[in-house]
Amino acid sequence: MSFVHRFIRPRFLAHAAAAGLALGAAQYFGLGAEALMAAEPDRQRPLVITDSKGDRGMLAPYVHRKNGIAYLYTSYIFDTLVSQDADGNSVPGLARTWTRSQDGLSYALELQRDAKWHDGTPVTADDVTFTLRYMAEHPYVFGSVKALAGIEIEGVHDLRIHIKRAEYGLVEGLFSAIPILPRHIYEGVKDPFRFATPEAAVGSGPYRLAAYDKAQGRYRLEATEDHPLGRPRFDQIWIVKMGPDAALQAMSAGEVDVISYLPPDRLPEALDAGFAVETSPSDHVLRLGFNHRGQFQKIELRQAIAYAVDRSALLAIAFPGVAELAETGYFQPGSKWQSDEATEGYAYDPAQARDLLLAAGWTQNRAGRWQTQGEEIRLRLLTDGREVKPARVIAEQLEAFGFAVDLRVMEVAALRSLVADGDYDLTLFSSSTLGDPGNIRRRVFGRGWNSDRFPADPKMAGLIKAQAVAQSQAERQEILARFQQLYAENLPSYMLVNPLMATVFNDKLSAPFMPGGVAIGIPSALHKSIFLE
Amino acid sequence: MQLASRRNLLFAAVILLCLAIWLAGAGGWLEYHSSRAVLAPPGLGHWLGTNEIGQDVLIGLILATPTTLTLAMATAVVTVSLAVGAASLVVFGGPFLSALMLRCVDVLQVVPTMLLLLLVAALVSPGFTALFLLLVLTGWSDDVRVAAAVLRREALRENVQYARVMGAGWFYCWRWHLFAALRPLLGALMVQNIRQAALKSAGLGFLGLTDPRLLTWGSMMQSAMDQLYTGAWMWLLLPPAALLSLLLHTTLKLGDRRLRSGAVLGPVF
Repeated sequence: MSFVHRFIRPRFLAHAAAAGLALGAAQYFGLGAEALMAAEPDRQRPLVITDSKGDRGMLAPYVHRKNGIAYLYTSYIFDTLVSQDADGNSVPGLARTWTRSQDGLSYALELQRDAKWHDGTPVTADDVTFTLRYMAEHPYVFGSVKALAGIEIEGVHDLRIHIKRAEYGLVEGLFSAIPILPRHIYEGVKDPFRFATPEAAVGSGPYRLAAYDKAQGRYRLEATEDHPLGRPRFDQIWIVKMGPDAALQAMSAGEVDVISYLPPDRLPEALDAGFAVETSPSDHVLRLGFNHRGQFQKIELRQAIAYAVDRSALLAIAFPGVAELAETGYFQPGSKWQSDEATEGYAYDPAQARDLLLAAGWTQNRAGRWQTQGEEIRLRLLTDGREVKPARVIAEQLEAFGFAVDLRVMEVAALRSLVADGDYDLTLFSSSTLGDPGNIRRRVFGRGWNSDRFPADPKMAGLIKAQAVAQSQAERQEILARFQQLYAENLPSYMLVNPLMATVFNDKLSAPFMPGGVAIGIPSALHKSIFLE
Repeated sequence: MQLASRRNLLFAAVILLCLAIWLAGAGGWLEYHSSRAVLAPPGLGHWLGTNEIGQDVLIGLILATPTTLTLAMATAVVTVSLAVGAASLVVFGGPFLSALMLRCVDVLQVVPTMLLLLLVAALVSPGFTALFLLLVLTGWSDDVRVAAAVLRREALRENVQYARVMGAGWFYCWRWHLFAALRPLLGALMVQNIRQAALKSAGLGFLGLTDPRLLTWGSMMQSAMDQLYTGAWMWLLLPPAALLSLLLHTTLKLGDRRLRSGAVLGPVF
């Protein structure tokens, strides 16, 4: 017994002492921090941003997760050649000026003279050249350099970029999307997709990555000195993983400054607590995708489904107050590319749907079930865990219309393989319509499960090509207007609803959602310019 | 006598009511559809309120009852039978069979359930049958050791030994001595399996193994979990949970008549 006592007591004492110390320290630092907050300007306090998902990977171009938010965080650390102002217009980034040549086949760029990498090395034209060549060898997921023909270095801070065709969207596309890499670090890296040491995150952005905890999904960014675009407003930015409940509580307790995405149905709580709330249609439109190589090759069948789905009922039931009806012609209201001419709206019209199906050779038996060649049609609708609610409503609507529906909710990996095998009829997915229209090709004709997977249609593909080499914004808009008509008519996928997104701020800062999306088209209010003075 | 007949009458009434509800559900007389009245609290229009897509909770409960009962009962009966069968093999099957059985059980308990689920999902097309198979496959191994322990203890008792000496075979002993001793345990195992079947089946819908619209009390409870931050959990979660505990309670009582007759073993206070 005495042995046990000897064993326990010192440990118990040590624990008690440690707990006491920790309590004391917390109190001390807590008070200290509060006192600091009262006295010092914004810059002295860390800005705490919550993220409901957590780990976005190492914040370096090749190793961050392949989603918009991971790209956004990485953009705080890595600069692009061209940046954005609060209205979404192109403004200088690493490049101070850019001049398009007369024939449109080259751009002369002049870089910021005082830009530095986080390790102190100056940023030069050499780094830009290296990055563009390196990305030709190791393609970067959010920006393709295929359009480039060659690069000439004309001085330490001057270079000329030649392109294959006179594309107009390069400034808002490629130049705004590609993070510039430090040559002296990446030069020796053979496989950047496995390069995830802290060195990989040495960029030239206004903040540098100071700490990253993968398990907790936490990031600590520290302000750099003398950034050419302005002085960082905050000494530190912390990004922490927190669910909506915890985030709202922490914000009330003053521990959190920004809730990056609060589910819109939780907004009343945030408003009641007196926080600043920014909402915007996400332009991450929920779409009904078709298997264009299976049941839904014929345009009439797709249109019939569009008429058979009651979008306004879907909106009222599955998204009450938290979404808008989507435009069926791809671009959404607020986009500068959206055409004024009305596109086909497909108001709920079961009679029209029935006529279209009958015309396409499908028949309806006595019980009202749809058949083709004597067999009952069973539609397999696939979706992932996020869209279960709308999927249940749509499945119900289609069943009421006379289809047997087999609804499957799966993990994205399983979903991908099923879609790749063509083992489905309909999919329900969300995908962005933001960013430079150069990305339409991937989103409409691409083979990803959340692309439309539309077989290359010569007319639509022609328009996408034509808008890329158009010589003015007006010409591009005109071509894209025709594209929108065709999109609404052909229905590569049926745009259902445009969910709202909300970001919650406390009194430290607030900013509206960036019109047209951040950089590659990320619906967000957290562009890095709001973290600069 | 009068009390017993009144109880029988009540029992018959309950059975009839259940039958009526069952028929109403199966016959398509009740329509369970979404509506714009989302998360409406209980009231005259919807006696038990509506869920997150405006479906009537009361109708949902009625429609979910046959599926839930069939699935839970079938799974529990098959699972417990398998477990007792396997336990009998372990106890009476000789060293080789016993070891083989126990290693099988070990393997099943060690292998992550997810692997089994994926295996079955690859073999059977998803649906009610697949769900049943999955629940049985992932459930039976848990009960084998418990049942084997009780069987082994009972097999060593004097009554069994005596019967053996008098020339009774193991099958006879199993039927007349061991099974009787096992019954309280079977009741408990049934309850455990019913509960697991009801709750697990809801989770499997989210692995793509069933249609997430398959209506059971478990799936109703699962979708109610998303509403914990609103007041709606009161009418979404409590009714199916209450029905589930009623079912468990009934099973427990039916499974062990001694509990009902008041002849509880152990010290009397």
